[in-house]
Amino acid sequence: MTGIVQLQNVTKTIKGKTIIDSLSFEVNKGEVFGFLGPNGAGKTTTIRMMVGLIGITSGDIKIGGNSIQSNFEQAVSRIGAIVENPEMYKFLTGYENLIHFARLSNKVDKQKIDEVVKLVNLSDRIHDKVKNYSLGMRQRLGVAQALLHDPEVLILDEPTNGLDPAGIREMRDHLKMLTREKGLAVIVSSHLLSEMEMMCDRIAILQKGKLVDVQTIQDFKNGVDHVVEFNVVPVDKALVIIQALGIPARKGEAGLTCKINKEDIPSIVKSLTTENINVYGIKEVTKSLEERFLEVTEEREVSLYA
Amino acid sequence: MLKLLQNEWMKIIKRPGTFVMMGLLLVTVVLMGGIIKYQSQDEKPNPNWKLEIQTTIAEQKQNLVQMENVPKGQREYLEKSIAINEYRLEHNLAPNGEYAIWSFVQDASSLIQLAGLFTIIVAAGIVASEFNWGTIKLLLIRPTSRSKILLAKYTTVISFALLMLTLLFGFSTLVGWIAFGMPEQSTPYLNYFAGKVTEESMVFHLIKFHGLSSISMIMLSTMAFMISAVFRNSSLAIGLSIFLMFTGAQFTNLIAIKFDWAKYILFANTDLMQYFEGMPLVEGMTLPFSVSMLVVYFVLFHSLAFFVFRKRDVAA
Repeated sequence: MTGIVQLQNVTKTIKGKTIIDSLSFEVNKGEVFGFLGPNGAGKTTTIRMMVGLIGITSGDIKIGGNSIQSNFEQAVSRIGAIVENPEMYKFLTGYENLIHFARLSNKVDKQKIDEVVKLVNLSDRIHDKVKNYSLGMRQRLGVAQALLHDPEVLILDEPTNGLDPAGIREMRDHLKMLTREKGLAVIVSSHLLSEMEMMCDRIAILQKGKLVDVQTIQDFKNGVDHVVEFNVVPVDKALVIIQALGIPARKGEAGLTCKINKEDIPSIVKSLTTENINVYGIKEVTKSLEERFLEVTEEREVSLYA
Repeated sequence: MLKLLQNEWMKIIKRPGTFVMMGLLLVTVVLMGGIIKYQSQDEKPNPNWKLEIQTTIAEQKQNLVQMENVPKGQREYLEKSIAINEYRLEHNLAPNGEYAIWSFVQDASSLIQLAGLFTIIVAAGIVASEFNWGTIKLLLIRPTSRSKILLAKYTTVISFALLMLTLLFGFSTLVGWIAFGMPEQSTPYLNYFAGKVTEESMVFHLIKFHGLSSISMIMLSTMAFMISAVFRNSSLAIGLSIFLMFTGAQFTNLIAIKFDWAKYILFANTDLMQYFEGMPLVEGMTLPFSVSMLVVYFVLFHSLAFFVFRKRDVAA
């Protein structure tokens, strides 16, 4: 299966500086694809290239098989996007804004506008001027304009920027629904890792304009070793016992930490109790996506300068 | 394309600034009507106008003879004045005939500059504002090519210019009619061109005058539009265009005294009235020359605007 969005060796050079360096990956229908990277890694630049706002120096981006460069109108009609903040015409009402954008696509009728308005829960306020909208409402209006023409790909740059927790949750549910029920491919960018963890199926990690890795969220998290922490007294004696079992262990903040598989836990506990060591607690220390992310990007940084 | 125009007009009409502009135009016309009405009350037509004109002609003729080397411009002005006055005597046409509707429309036509000013403001904002508002990002990711969007925007500017001119003509006709009424007998407009005086219907003269004046307005708006599209800066576009609108003609006149190449300057060619009434700025300039110069500038402005707008990386 080929992806609905294909990036092929995409490179962007501005004034002799390579901003994006031969990026290649694919995004499939029905998945939420995350774009992860520190500030300045090139997330927004890549997204702007996908929607044709800025040119591509070399390589190509294809949306449903149409090149965004040579077949712009065909390609872009399959995309709905919010690039950075959803800036609307503040002196128009929400509805007039939608009419405005509907006129720019071919096949959008009044009925479709009403449907989208209902979908993003803006029916009550849609005839108010946008300048009186809250940030959350503007975000939702942004999603509405992006969905107007039934796109196959939805691109959201920092979709949860400035939203309160309820708004973030609402946005997340929307995206899940759109991918599950309508089979859309959704591309989101963010530097909020916890957000990505809950939203995305797969993530691409971008650093300094280069693709570090593309992984599913699960693989990404599993790339971390399992570390189990034993809260025991006395620590020193326990350390000797565990090391005698041939398991590498060291003193941690609250006891002993060692890298083991889950199945080894009972036998270790047994050995500890037979030696009269008090076990107060055993817990698995999983690294969050954040730690993993820093780990990956730092490794990369080291190798870049090596 | 029609939908794009609808969009642009929606964005113009839904902003209060547009109505302020139209209101200002109306208020200025009414104000002007009031002032002229008030002043003309103590002005009575002079029954001895023939005598007065005869003296003027005599004086001017003497001037012509006495000053052998008067500057060319002044000499032509004197010749024109003499010719028209002689025509008046011959055909019994009083110079300060009754002040009526068309005289007022003629006076109010100086407000074309105001209409031009407003058009420049609209033209300067129409592309730059989209960048300021950030809406350009949403505008350019639609299945509509950038050229089409820019073309729609330019067409809107031109139609706005026409609207302003029509409004001005309409307002001043209305105000002139209410304040001064229709003339009892129609006074013709006396046109002096290439040594001959001809009579023209006043209405025809006014429509021609408004039409030809709009050319300078449209050229300046096109320039403002180009600056707006190229530099994404409406203040620069408004400032530069208005500055040139008020000073361009004077500068060109100054240069024309000394140098012949002044005829290649845009402002030497925007006033096409010079080929129908009066005389060309630089000797040897003809109507086809001016029209082709205007076309050259027009194409230049548009190629710049379209080239830059199509290629631009929208990154802000």
